[in-house]
Amino acid sequence: MNSLWWWALPILLLPILWHRQKREQTKAAPLATARFLPQSEPVQLRVWRWSDVLLLLLRCLLLATLIALLADPVLPWRGDSVLVVPGTDPAFIGKQIRAAGLAEARRIDLPGRDAYRWLHEHEREFEPKARLLLVGDVAMPAALPRLRHALTVRPQAAAPARSEQHVALFSRRAEEWRKLFGALEGPQRYVLDAQPAANAALVIWDLPEAPPPALHAPLWWIADTAAFPELVKAPQVDGLHYLDTPRGRLWSAAWLPPKDAAAARTMFETWLRLHAGVPPYTAPPQAPAVDARAVAGPEGGALHEALAITLLVLFALERLLTHVRRR
Amino acid sequence: MSLVASAALAAHTGKLELAIRHVLAGLGHGIHAGRERGAGVEFSEYRAYAPGDEWRRVDWKLMARADRYYVREAERDSHVAVWLVLDATASMLEPSRSIEGLDKLNTARLLLGCVAAIAQRQGDAFGLLVCQGERAHFTPAARGPRQLQRVLAQLNRVDAAGTLPAAEVLRASLHFARAPSVVCVASDFLEWPSPLSAAMLRLRSMRHDVRALCLQTEAEIAADFDAAQAWRDPEGDGKLFRFGREARTEYARRREEHFDMVAQQCRAHDIPYVAAPIERAPAEILRAWLRKRGGRP
Repeated sequence: MNSLWWWALPILLLPILWHRQKREQTKAAPLATARFLPQSEPVQLRVWRWSDVLLLLLRCLLLATLIALLADPVLPWRGDSVLVVPGTDPAFIGKQIRAAGLAEARRIDLPGRDAYRWLHEHEREFEPKARLLLVGDVAMPAALPRLRHALTVRPQAAAPARSEQHVALFSRRAEEWRKLFGALEGPQRYVLDAQPAANAALVIWDLPEAPPPALHAPLWWIADTAAFPELVKAPQVDGLHYLDTPRGRLWSAAWLPPKDAAAARTMFETWLRLHAGVPPYTAPPQAPAVDARAVAGPEGGALHEALAITLLVLFALERLLTHVRRR
Repeated sequence: MSLVASAALAAHTGKLELAIRHVLAGLGHGIHAGRERGAGVEFSEYRAYAPGDEWRRVDWKLMARADRYYVREAERDSHVAVWLVLDATASMLEPSRSIEGLDKLNTARLLLGCVAAIAQRQGDAFGLLVCQGERAHFTPAARGPRQLQRVLAQLNRVDAAGTLPAAEVLRASLHFARAPSVVCVASDFLEWPSPLSAAMLRLRSMRHDVRALCLQTEAEIAADFDAAQAWRDPEGDGKLFRFGREARTEYARRREEHFDMVAQQCRAHDIPYVAAPIERAPAEILRAWLRKRGGRP
């Protein structure tokens, strides 16, 4: 869309025409006895001449820069590249680079696992003949990607990073809840605090009293609805009532805390799926077919700043020169 | 050519009066016929002194008595009026290509000023007619130093522009032509026949002494102009002209034809016609212009 601005380039003709010397400005000196001369063809009038060539150049440059700024061009400046997903084993990377014969290639560290999205956004920056190698725990896209460049994907599934989440627990049967969280497997570790923590991902409220007003969390599990009468009328799915309030989303069910393993698993899976998101699968090793007609991603605006500064400098120079010429 | 009388010096003298004095000094007394004596010397009245009056006309005895300057006025100095006609059309701005600052208008102005000064010296009445920008500016004839100042001021003020006035405008301005008079016309005569030439011939047929001074430049006479430059007629419609080799021959031929025709017509009507390049010394031009009919203009 932005590249349509290139069609505005004929505007450069305007200063060129403005600076063209007018017919009257061709020098013809008065000569009283000119009447005795045979009249000549005005050859001089057909000569194209420009006044203030420097100013003309500046103005043309100014307009061209403005149009370039609007058109926001992206120059293909990246050659053969190795795209590395963060957290990939360096030995694995070295092996894959050697195998692909891309020892000279430039290494680009990707910001995250979603390599295909990054590639789509930056694909204009790669030279048409550039070869790409994608290494690491690449998130698998929903659809097969269409790319203009030859890409080889060498995935390495990484072990999920260990992390811990804080759970604020307010209950008289705290032991039951601790047992429940202790039975959980996986990389996620849960820290149960009796005191409300500022970074609590979950608040378990199993008391008949109303919670302190300052307590906030993305999700509340309400085992005792005495303090939350509005939950009774809240919508429900499979016996689980849910309600969005200013202090966070409330879940409540009659069977809280879960008594059997299946109910507990369902509860946790639902929680993780809705609040932590589904972790993407690692993409399989693949080399998508090169499609020259693939739709390129949005323009990058990489030259935006440089062009803007150039425009400013040119504008200042143009004003200066115009002022000097007037004096 | 004496130094003071050179055209270049006259061109660079800002003051017309000073230049006139220089030119007339260079001229000496050769064409000066002297004051007409006789009836004109008859005492008529005393008049208060005005700046420009000659000191010798001041009555010193009366000054001793009255403690004021008085000038003796004569009854009538001369019967002849001198009319100065200046063509101040745009073409008169043609400069000399060899002497910087000199152009036809300046020379014409200087020479007419000289004639006015001579007329004033001789006690003749003189008036001025300036043809400029389709109009004719008329200064009635009178005599005396104040008239000289007036005429010189008028001449100084003239700014060349436009073309000649129409024939009827000029004819309306020629109502003076009753008394016998000398008519001195300074022009480039590039247009002939023209309203001015018609007026000259008409005045001549009324037995006035009409004298034509055709001002030219040396470059015009030699047809020596820059071939690379485009030229236009200042009174024309902006068409361009160029000096090529053939154009030059054609120019010389046409120009010669034109001025031959002018000279021939002047001769046929007994009008003294002097064509002079402005680069010549003004005194020489003046001498040639006023030569023919005895010493008197």
